Amino acid sequence: MRRRIPEVFLGIGFIGIMSTLFLGLNWAPSVSIDAFESPAAQRIFYWHVPSAWAAFIAFGVLFVGSALWFFKRSPFGWRLHVAGTEAGLACGLMTVWSGCVWGAAEWGTPWDWTDVRLNTFGLLTLLALFLVLGRQSQPDGVETRDTFSTFGLYGFVLVPFTYIATRIWQIRHPGPVIGAGDDGGSLQSSMALVLLIGALSFTIFIIGHMMISMRITHLEQRLEHAQKRLDGGN
Amino acid sequence: MEGTNYLTVAYLGMIAALAIWTWTVVVRSRSIETRLEAVESSIGIDVSQADAIATQSTDGTQDDSTV
Repeated sequence: MRRRIPEVFLGIGFIGIMSTLFLGLNWAPSVSIDAFESPAAQRIFYWHVPSAWAAFIAFGVLFVGSALWFFKRSPFGWRLHVAGTEAGLACGLMTVWSGCVWGAAEWGTPWDWTDVRLNTFGLLTLLALFLVLGRQSQPDGVETRDTFSTFGLYGFVLVPFTYIATRIWQIRHPGPVIGAGDDGGSLQSSMALVLLIGALSFTIFIIGHMMISMRITHLEQRLEHAQKRLDGGN
Repeated sequence: MEGTNYLTVAYLGMIAALAIWTWTVVVRSRSIETRLEAVESSIGIDVSQADAIATQSTDGTQDDSTV
């Protein structure tokens, strides 16, 4: 049963995400038509914000994993690094894609190259893409792991930078609606509830994915080691 | 209503992508698990020796410190 915990997390997370979408499309109230160019498209917010939240969790895991590998040579740290990059890439792409859909409907353009939040988050996603593709194309070794861990460590600088970007430079991307620090945000309670369910579901889902990704990396290492033994090496 | 349809299509695309990604990962994990069980049971290997790169790296650090 313990071996199936990641699958249980994935199942619960997936059901939660589906419920979020159902509630977001059918139950959450509409926004004021005057405030938005495309009020219907605003409902993508229930996907966009939780996936961005999950991406930040994944990038945090990537940072911790990179540090553990780089400074402690921890095999567990390397597995965290791999899991963090894969989850960060998936959540980053979901965030960027949903943001582009909303931007196309609301702003008339899917991307704005002058907006700091959009571009720093885009860079984070590209970093995750580089790490995933790089790991697949390079032979596994200490130098390769050190190089990718360094990128994971320095790339994390973009996370707090992305977080504060709309507080300092609000260009296109809307400012914070929760945790804004002034009047507690501008969300209605039913909208906040759907958003909370979404954030919890994405968190459970991405934890399940990272657990299964760590298991795969561990299994691949064991398989490689066993095959070397079979071939007559150590 | 047109906007909602557009949104639903965008959502369905992402849900399909999530489902495919999850399915691929679970299937890959199970397939490696089965292969590994077969190989390891035939040679009797210790799980703690799994990450040869980490072992090699730690050994290298110890070697350096003793020089």
